[in-house]
Amino acid sequence: MVEDIRFHRLPRRTFVGMGVAGAAALALPVSLRNARAQDVTEVRLTQSPSSPAEQNVMTSLLATFMAQHPDIQVNYEPVTQQYNTKLQTDLAAGTAADVFTFGSLPSPDFIQGGVLAPLNDRMAAAGITTDQFYPGLIAAFQQGEELYGLPKDFSTLGMIYDPAIFATPTDTSTVIGGTPSASPAASPAASPAASPVAGEGLAVPTTWDELRTVATQLRDQTGQAPIVFGPSFDRYIAFLYQGGGSVISEDGTSIVIDTPEALAALDFYHGLYVDGLATTFTEVGAQWPGDAFAKGLASIVFEGPWLIGFMAENAPNKPYGIAEMPAGPAGKATMAFTEAYGLNAASDVQDAAFTLIAWLTGVEGMTQWSTGFGVLPSRPEVAAVYLEQFPEREPFLVGGEYARPWQLGSGGERFNTEANAELQALFAGQQDSATTLANMQARAEEIIRLG
Amino acid sequence: MATALARTKRSRSPMESEDMIAGWVFLAPAFIIFATFIFGPIFYSLWISFYERNSFGTINNFVGIDNYRQILDSPDFWNAFRNTAWFSLGVVPTQTAIGLVLAVLANRKIRGKSFFRTAFYFPSISSSVVISLIFLWIYQRNGLVDILFNGLNIPVPNPVWMQNPNGIIQMTLEQFGADSVPPWLRGPSIALMSIMLLNIWTTAGTMMVIFLAGLQDIPGDVYEAASLDGASRVRQFRDITVPLLRPVILFVVTLGTIGTFQVFDQIFVMTSDGGPARTTTTLVYLIYQEGFKFGEGPGYASALATILFGIIFVLFLVQRHFLGQTENR
Repeated sequence: MVEDIRFHRLPRRTFVGMGVAGAAALALPVSLRNARAQDVTEVRLTQSPSSPAEQNVMTSLLATFMAQHPDIQVNYEPVTQQYNTKLQTDLAAGTAADVFTFGSLPSPDFIQGGVLAPLNDRMAAAGITTDQFYPGLIAAFQQGEELYGLPKDFSTLGMIYDPAIFATPTDTSTVIGGTPSASPAASPAASPAASPVAGEGLAVPTTWDELRTVATQLRDQTGQAPIVFGPSFDRYIAFLYQGGGSVISEDGTSIVIDTPEALAALDFYHGLYVDGLATTFTEVGAQWPGDAFAKGLASIVFEGPWLIGFMAENAPNKPYGIAEMPAGPAGKATMAFTEAYGLNAASDVQDAAFTLIAWLTGVEGMTQWSTGFGVLPSRPEVAAVYLEQFPEREPFLVGGEYARPWQLGSGGERFNTEANAELQALFAGQQDSATTLANMQARAEEIIRLG
Repeated sequence: MATALARTKRSRSPMESEDMIAGWVFLAPAFIIFATFIFGPIFYSLWISFYERNSFGTINNFVGIDNYRQILDSPDFWNAFRNTAWFSLGVVPTQTAIGLVLAVLANRKIRGKSFFRTAFYFPSISSSVVISLIFLWIYQRNGLVDILFNGLNIPVPNPVWMQNPNGIIQMTLEQFGADSVPPWLRGPSIALMSIMLLNIWTTAGTMMVIFLAGLQDIPGDVYEAASLDGASRVRQFRDITVPLLRPVILFVVTLGTIGTFQVFDQIFVMTSDGGPARTTTTLVYLIYQEGFKFGEGPGYASALATILFGIIFVLFLVQRHFLGQTENR
């Protein structure tokens, strides 16, 4: 799953016993295949599981695949640390797996690096079309008309709020835990942030203006900043799109970060901080915004589905609501953090490897994967089944319809670091928002290699 | 070491070829491993520094010294150089001084001497990743440092320690009304300072142990004679201990300089991508970013590594010039 976003400024976690689990996972398919059929093709699959739970679901998913395809033996090679670094060196050395996952951010680098086999012909032959997937996810793995990876799953950003404060829901918002919407005013005890405004019952904001209004109200009542976020580009960019800005022009030929729309978006985002409506997670002593929310230090954070597991583990009794991101002057926008299965261009077993990719991203594989692990399915077709099991995740899934891919062109990963640095300088008061955007524009022109 | 061994042997007696062969056979495993995993990569890295490459090796064009030219024009390189230089300038003298003082204290006949020696050395043998994680907690908002500062009524910095990109010289100058301080004059950021303190804390113990070994080499009668002449403890330290420890100081400073110019793991663990605002991006971290994070690629990163080697080499020559003249006296 695409948990990088959540962990990227957290201490890297090592899962003790992962090695044991990995060994068990590798041993499993072998034992399943005691009665070896003739001409079994071996396909190597590598991926970076975010947790032992994800690895277990992946293992059982592959077992189902192999039961249906006795002629294909999948060797699963999970990599829990430094996946991209290992993958790059494996590809350079010619020892990479036949099927590997790659994220939307470095996707253009993989595509332009020529290490991925194009999929259009194979998809046409197998009857797979791009409109079977959410458009924002397909866009992340396309160059021109050619597709280089099929989306495994995705996460979007949503607005997580304290339901004890925001009692009036929106059309799509959902609440987890507590006594949802029945008598919100009567149950303010769960959250310390709730007590000063008990019984107030604000409406969940759906636009920038409403967000500012309720945040101001809360700040004035409690004396604390209700929103917790950070000077990070992967959050600002959602506001950038909501405000009608962009990073790369529609035709993909120029960098367009420094625009009046972008400035308005940055002034809105940074303005929340300047006006005391928002604070950073580090300033409240949290590891990331979700951590601040779990500790009751925030009433609103902008995070993704990864927060759900975190809340279950760290604040199981705290109720929380999920809503779509607020709409800006240019309408709704959120980010799709996604990952695709790619076909190694140097693989000797491309036919079998593509059979595996097609099944994993097909209706059956996607259903088993998304309902088993809880990540959002990249196929709208699976949405109904998925929501039956995870109804509270609807706001995240709805975002898939208008989400923009988390992608910044070739060299985007490097540029993301520079963009974060500029935002950090802005938040520390070293420069103003206009300078920040001008610097971002200059750095992007230098770093991003346009197609 | 291999060559040094062979040379002394040759000068001592006429070469006995059988011994020679036996020597090489015994050396062979270590030498082959060394050549394969150390020498080989070093020369390969030098080789690809003249190429424009992508991460997968699918693009590979000879570009001569273009990478080097590009590096010298790059603000990222100069920023990383500046950060590394501040880091080294702050850490090396401090850890040397603390190490020396600790060594002298731990060398005296005091109760619990071995406890102190162990305690001071302990951070050096602990995993730097674990220590970095612990310091991350200590530097958090309302963490240990904040509690200490609040208790002493000293205002804590905002943004938080590890997120604060403001330079310490810059902040001082701004107190006196300076408006916009140029980057090279800002000094290490508070975030970098925090990592420097951690680094001093972990390495001072190592330096202490090296100094302790050096102190054993100073004959006791020198001190005896000095005290008979009425020299005070401080005077003895200044005029006997320090001069006689000169070769050891050179060793410690060289080791410290190399170590600080290669700092990576603490940056990797404690910061988000060399932030805030690039103020903790050191040269080695920049190499990692350019090489593995889809930056300019392995060729460019290798050229950076070669330049880093050059910088450390020059610094060593300078230090040897100023500190290493004891042998001639």
